[in-house]
Amino acid sequence: MANTPKDRQTEVKVEDILRLKRSERPDDAFWGKFDRELHQRMLQTLVKKDPWFTQLIRGLSGRFAQSSAIAAAAVLVAMVVVRPVLLSPASSGVSLAENSEPSLGVTAVEVAMPDFSYTEAMTQTSGPDYRIEVISGRDSSHDASFERDFGMDSMQVASYDSVTYSADSAHSRVSFASAGVASLVY
Amino acid sequence: MATTGSVSKTFAPAQEAPLLERDLDWAVVQKVQAGNVGAFDQLVQKYREHIFSVIYNMTSNREDASDLSQETFIKAFQAIGRFQGKSAFFTWIYRIAINTTMTFLKKRSRRRYISYENINEEVSSAEIFERLTAKNRTEKGALVKELQEKLNDALQKLSLKHRTVVILHEIEGLEHAEIAEITKTSIGTVRSRLHYAKQQLQSYLQEYLG
Repeated sequence: MANTPKDRQTEVKVEDILRLKRSERPDDAFWGKFDRELHQRMLQTLVKKDPWFTQLIRGLSGRFAQSSAIAAAAVLVAMVVVRPVLLSPASSGVSLAENSEPSLGVTAVEVAMPDFSYTEAMTQTSGPDYRIEVISGRDSSHDASFERDFGMDSMQVASYDSVTYSADSAHSRVSFASAGVASLVY
Repeated sequence: MATTGSVSKTFAPAQEAPLLERDLDWAVVQKVQAGNVGAFDQLVQKYREHIFSVIYNMTSNREDASDLSQETFIKAFQAIGRFQGKSAFFTWIYRIAINTTMTFLKKRSRRRYISYENINEEVSSAEIFERLTAKNRTEKGALVKELQEKLNDALQKLSLKHRTVVILHEIEGLEHAEIAEITKTSIGTVRSRLHYAKQQLQSYLQEYLG
């Protein structure tokens, strides 16, 4: 059934109820107390000086100061991040290229190298006359600890025969990446 | 001080003489900026009830509203040197009040005890209560108390953004454009929030409507 004009006049809307909130007002005594407290607090703010960090923040809140700070930050980032990247290829480009390749340099070090031949060895009886051949898997980037680890894989091989004396080299089956090879050849 | 009708009619920024009010306020602000600290009291006397009303309706607590209203005026006093008059003083101070209240309400972890102002007796005998009493067949005194509680409860159920808009428009009587300026949103957003808030309130207060 449609509402009659009279019904519409008497019906209560949200706006009508909300308007009642306007009448929730404090009395005069409240405002007297409010004014006293406010004046007291305002006087305190007048007397009290802001701490240094508040003054600093207020100073930094200016538009010029903000843009200066942003510019300074940008320069700092450029100095810290961009500059080393730009400089690094010129100064260490070669070493980078070298390091990029796997360095599998095997260095043979002759410890003692007297004139030596198998026939002589067969005839000579005095004093050890041998050659130590060290094959190292160490590349330039390895440290001393590598040699200790490497020592675990080293082998000493000596083959004797009453008739013929031959020397065999020893080969480690361990991959070069994880260890090295060494042999002591008589 | 106007106690009845639209609150904004006491200074009516958009309806009666917006430029005059704005200019009057700006003249007082300039006095304060020139060092006449006492002139600030004129602004306090003019706006304290509006500021209190907004904060009170947002918090539903008279003690909090009193503290936050004082805080609003102190903040305005401290910042008045930087006020350039680009906007009206009343939108500026309303914005301070709303931001202060929102910060307070967001920090407040749990809901506080609600303390009400008394509804003016003149208003409690108004036509709206006559109609409500007739409709609900309740004793008027009990109805006033009950409705006040339900209304505050319904307002507290709204989100802060929706509550702000509905308070500024329906209770403070501000125009959509003024609310948009205060809340730094578009007029469309204000209208949309107002529409949604009213729908919500309608569902919460269904038993009293119609």
